[in-house]
Amino acid sequence: MSMEDYDFLFKIVLIGNAGVGKTCLVRRFTQGLFPPGQGATIGVDFMIKTVEINGEKVKLQIWDTAGQERFRSITQSYYRSANALILTYDITCEESFRCLPEWLREIEQYASNKVITVLVGNKIDLADKREVSQQRAAEFSEAQDMYYLETSAKESDNVEKLFLDLACRLISEARQNTLVNNVSSPLPGEGKSISYLTCCNFN
Amino acid sequence: MVALQRMGPNLQLIEGDAQQLAGMIAFTCSLAENVSSKVRQLDLAKNRLYQAIQRADDILDLKFCMDGVQTALRGEDYEQAAAHIHRYLSLDKSVIELSRQGKEGGIIDANLKLLQESEQRLKAIVTEKFDTAMKQGDLPQVERFFKIFPLLGLHEEGLSKFSEYLCKQVAKKAEENLQLVMGTDMSDRRAAVIFADTLTLLFEGIARVVETHQPIVETYYGPGRLYTLIKHLQGECDQQVEKVVEKFVKERDYHRQFQQVQNSMMRSSAEKIEPRELDPILTEVTLMNARSELYLRFIKRRITADFEVGDSMAPEEVKQEHQKQLDKLLNNCLLSCTMQELIGYYITMEQYFMRETVNKAVAMDSYEKGQLTSSMVDDVFYIVKKCIGRALSSSSIDCLCAMINHSTTELESDFREVLYNKLKQGFPATTFQDFQRGVTSAVNIMHSSLQQGKFDTKGIESTDEAKQSFLVTLNNVEVCSENIMTLKKTLESDCAKLLSQGFGGEQAQAKIESCLSDMAAVSNKFRDLLQEGVSDLNNTAIKPQVKPWINLFLSISHSIEEEEFSEYEANDPWVQQFIVHLEQQMTEFKAGLSPVIYDNLTGLMTSLIATELEKVLLKSSFNRLGGLQFDKELRSLIAYLTTVTTWTIRDKFARLSQIATILNLERVTEILDYWGPNSGPLTWRLTPAEVRRVLGLRKDFRDEDIKRLRL
Repeated sequence: MSMEDYDFLFKIVLIGNAGVGKTCLVRRFTQGLFPPGQGATIGVDFMIKTVEINGEKVKLQIWDTAGQERFRSITQSYYRSANALILTYDITCEESFRCLPEWLREIEQYASNKVITVLVGNKIDLADKREVSQQRAAEFSEAQDMYYLETSAKESDNVEKLFLDLACRLISEARQNTLVNNVSSPLPGEGKSISYLTCCNFN
Repeated sequence: MVALQRMGPNLQLIEGDAQQLAGMIAFTCSLAENVSSKVRQLDLAKNRLYQAIQRADDILDLKFCMDGVQTALRGEDYEQAAAHIHRYLSLDKSVIELSRQGKEGGIIDANLKLLQESEQRLKAIVTEKFDTAMKQGDLPQVERFFKIFPLLGLHEEGLSKFSEYLCKQVAKKAEENLQLVMGTDMSDRRAAVIFADTLTLLFEGIARVVETHQPIVETYYGPGRLYTLIKHLQGECDQQVEKVVEKFVKERDYHRQFQQVQNSMMRSSAEKIEPRELDPILTEVTLMNARSELYLRFIKRRITADFEVGDSMAPEEVKQEHQKQLDKLLNNCLLSCTMQELIGYYITMEQYFMRETVNKAVAMDSYEKGQLTSSMVDDVFYIVKKCIGRALSSSSIDCLCAMINHSTTELESDFREVLYNKLKQGFPATTFQDFQRGVTSAVNIMHSSLQQGKFDTKGIESTDEAKQSFLVTLNNVEVCSENIMTLKKTLESDCAKLLSQGFGGEQAQAKIESCLSDMAAVSNKFRDLLQEGVSDLNNTAIKPQVKPWINLFLSISHSIEEEEFSEYEANDPWVQQFIVHLEQQMTEFKAGLSPVIYDNLTGLMTSLIATELEKVLLKSSFNRLGGLQFDKELRSLIAYLTTVTTWTIRDKFARLSQIATILNLERVTEILDYWGPNSGPLTWRLTPAEVRRVLGLRKDFRDEDIKRLRL
């Protein structure tokens, strides 16, 4: 592992109803593409993108899961090892928002208790078809103690921010954990000064 | 100047020549121009002539077709008639227009009308004849008319009709097979996988149909048409699969079993399904999926190859469009969806099977004397291997990865927890502490039994059993850590085989690698647990014993005269006894622990001895002979420890050896022979302050001399 060229490795899993745009978010972030007429994901897809944050190489392993019910037992198996979950809904689809509590139950049941969950309302480019108001989603995310962001994979709005802020968040979390667990012995190559407090702000 | 003047006439001569040359070139040019324009005219004339001939030929052909079709139709020679129509259809439409404008326009018009009528009639006849042949199951006739459709420009219709015929054949066979299944005796050798077998027969049947009829489609319809044929066949396949799976679900009670499993996964109180009962059905489902994957891979390869030939000249967009169509067919067909659903249920049930069986193995754990590990380690890994192996046999990469993930969870959380809890009970201390522990545990048991109103005999384990349990658990943890790595390696090579056969998408390899590396990380967690356990053992079992033995050193005077030195030589006062004690103590561990763990433990023990001995030394006092005595003692100790461990003792005892050297000096200043520039290969592990302190232990050295030393 130490031979590989990165300082941090995080696993991010995207979940949420079918058709809310999980694959498009991932494609937009990893390849800069918005493939129209994207077919439903089969099982899980896997992408890697390495980003640099404050001079540190962060390798993001992004698991894009199928939203359809019949793949649930496959996607559930990825929750536990995830460092972060991106719970996605479609702002033009009330149903996808109404399903969120069900998804939260799944997270509760299968994910690690240290997991970071981000709530993402996608498709803000279709503003005239909006069915879920920003305020409702903000209230919901606050009640559930989640970060919340609205994005457009099509217009590339907030997509970069979503993943980069999440990466920052994961770095500071990882550092805190090492500080708590290994006060006396920092990980090799981690003896640098810690400046994560100024690293990012997450809204 | 003279030379120039002399050149004057020459230049005039040259100018004349040049003008003449220019005139000639201009003439040649216009001549060539003339000739080539003639040639061009000739060429044009020739082309027009050819066109005229072509057109005349076409008109003649048209006439010939008109007559030919009539004759052929009358003679029921449909191939011939179709050939004429085909010729007619491939004629340039402008030719037909032109011929109508000719002198005999009226006649041609009539004939043309006749021809079009014949075309319609032929189409109707061919369709009708085909339908009749299909009804009668007359393959030669079916194929005969199938070949005629493309001549009439009816490619799609021909393929669709022919597929209809083939689908009927497939359906008939499938019906028969399903009937056979329902009549199968439960004692039949294949009874447990009968539905997988039925699917296999269906797939093989369709594959055979494709194999048999691909050449005729290719020959008469051209490449790139196989997709259409298979798309029709897939529709039938889907219907048949639906029937088989429906029967499967009903006969095997698949959904109810899944429901029950899910209930007991959610609530522990629910009535539990015996995991062994799930075994056959799990195997059958994976087999069903493997067959489907194999079949889908077959049609994918066939269509891709056919498109490749058909699209060899096509633009990139067409190729991509075809690829998209193919992906859509493969991903969205009912067969794929149905199998994905079955596999979805399978994963949950397999996870349950694994968890319950592992729990059972833990509950039934037994240990045989003479063995290092207990039964549950082998059992648990056998189960995990079996479950992942079964998932692998489904040929579905996502299914495999899901089970690798679940196995990782099972090993990391559940099973590691079991071992962790066993280690947490600790290695029982002996003698006095043992007595203390016995009392407290007895009190605890009294308390709990009073609370529960019953006496739990399991709580009273004899010390020996508890000791053994601890050592066996340590061995178990080590073997787990190794087994995980072995399992990872085995899976890697198994997966490589699967991938080399072309199963899985582009990211299959990366997905598997990632899941397997998570699994490997669990191996390290077991290693950490082992390290914790061994150092616990060192702290609770070895340290309390070794410390008093080392403390005995204090009661042995090291300010001695010649006489005592000889006496010590004859009757060793400390070190021999210490070694005997160590030897006795370690025998138990040597027998009960794996070589690796034992070595690890002795490593910790030697470090402990070195630290403790140093502490004791600093509380003692020495003279010259006492120093010599200690040097002898240290040498014996190092010699002994070197025999019991593979660790390098010299390094751990470096400080002590240096202390011994100092204690052995003749005079204080002699230290300078070894210090600083004179140290040679020796690297001092002692600081100058420590050196002074050790020198101070020699009661025969004067403090002023030590203070005066420049280090």
